[in-house]
Amino acid sequence: MTAHPEIHIPLTTLASIIGGLAVLFVLFYWSIGGKRAKRDSFRTGDPDWSVPTIDAYADRSSFFHQWDPRIKIVSLFLYCFMVVSLQSLCWSTVAFTISLLAVVACNIPFARAGKRLLAMAGFLSMFLLVVPFTSPLQSSETLIYLPGLPGFPFHTAGFFVALLIVVKACAIALMMEPLLGTAPLAVTLQSLSRLGLPDSIGQMVLLSHRYIFVFVNEITRMYRGMRVRGFVPGTNMATMSAMGNFFGMLFVRSFDRTQRVYDAMLSRGYAGQFPSFVRFATTQKDWAKGALWIMMGLFLLFIDRMYGNPFF
Amino acid sequence: MHISDGVLPISITVASWAVSFGGAAYSLRCMKNEDLPKVAVVTSAFFVASLIHLPFGPTSVHLILPGIVGALLGPVAFLSIVLGLFLQSILFQFGGLTALGANALMMGLPALFCGLLFQGIRGKTVLSHTIAGAVCGGLGTAMAATVLACLLATAGENFVGVAKLALAAHVPVFLVEAGVSAFTVSFLFRVKPELLTTGRFRT
Repeated sequence: MTAHPEIHIPLTTLASIIGGLAVLFVLFYWSIGGKRAKRDSFRTGDPDWSVPTIDAYADRSSFFHQWDPRIKIVSLFLYCFMVVSLQSLCWSTVAFTISLLAVVACNIPFARAGKRLLAMAGFLSMFLLVVPFTSPLQSSETLIYLPGLPGFPFHTAGFFVALLIVVKACAIALMMEPLLGTAPLAVTLQSLSRLGLPDSIGQMVLLSHRYIFVFVNEITRMYRGMRVRGFVPGTNMATMSAMGNFFGMLFVRSFDRTQRVYDAMLSRGYAGQFPSFVRFATTQKDWAKGALWIMMGLFLLFIDRMYGNPFF
Repeated sequence: MHISDGVLPISITVASWAVSFGGAAYSLRCMKNEDLPKVAVVTSAFFVASLIHLPFGPTSVHLILPGIVGALLGPVAFLSIVLGLFLQSILFQFGGLTALGANALMMGLPALFCGLLFQGIRGKTVLSHTIAGAVCGGLGTAMAATVLACLLATAGENFVGVAKLALAAHVPVFLVEAGVSAFTVSFLFRVKPELLTTGRFRT
């Protein structure tokens, strides 16, 4: 059995590490202009159900905006898969840096990409907190004993595994803005259908995307009505009954509305296709950009497999 | 809960994309043109449901509704879930692009199963519909949590702890979901029963 170096951390060091991380998080939160999340204020007031629009900055101009959407989608999609398969922390961090640069280059406020990172914070922090304590013991890894937890050492190997996941997840999440925020959603879907996606799927995404905003409007109104009549959510049967009927009502109302809209579409000559005014033109520059990203992904993957090791 | 990018190994990621692709193709084959509005409605409702947090004791849970999606859409449920998850991941980064396949399996398979089950046990009375709604709602979430735990466990023994935690965290969701689904289905049966008639599962 190999010896495991053990480090015992005093309480003051631990407190300062946690404090430092908390300060960093608050600074990040503040820098992307995050307001206090109101999703949980269901109990007390009007909850915040606002949905961001994906293509709010699609009319700007940048490296990504001027790229033929078809080639952009294919090459960035493949690039994302290559990033997922990285195995070393060092090269994943390089991928993360590339993503950061891409977000800067795509001329979309960083706050939008930052909010994406925040949305994953819950799931990823679960990994960072749980995996180091529950991962199996590996040979010659360093164990860190925290004060007050003598039986549960902090496995550094497990921590690096969790960190690798966090870095990769952030690297890919950041690529979503350059990938999808730089063209109107309709154009993105049009180019997907040129790439072989059935038309009906693209139309369903477009319709559902539109209805999300309608529905959010609707539930906000319905929920306000419930509160005016004295509804206070709690952990009881009455809440479940009220919410069950709430969803039922949402389905009934929205189905009636959608049916009317669909009938109107049919009577205006809808036959399974929306007319498209998008012209796709591919230049050599588009191909070059695509080749650049694929090469970058392949390079990362190659160097990761050749020189990377699981820890650095 | 959604799996983020980078968690699962590349083999599982690609395999789950492939299986989800098959599931979506199956759904598309079972779909008729006039189903389009209904699928769009259910997809949006699936999306919106994840925004609504219900209090559960000191914490709050948000609904997932795979059971209801299955009961309303039958075989088309899988496609609806894929599209809903796609929208969630592009708008909110719930889940992620590369993890879309895994997330679709996690919620789409239970939805398909619940669709089949619901057609089998719905009966003809309000009471039987209520019970079928509760069973599908609860079972849908429980299955989704189980698939999530299995997928996490495939990523290596480092993640067994996380998988167990995720499974445990879904118990309250499972209870709330069963209750809400029961009331939703009984409401729909009384108010607009034609919404509960779904297309047939083709083989």
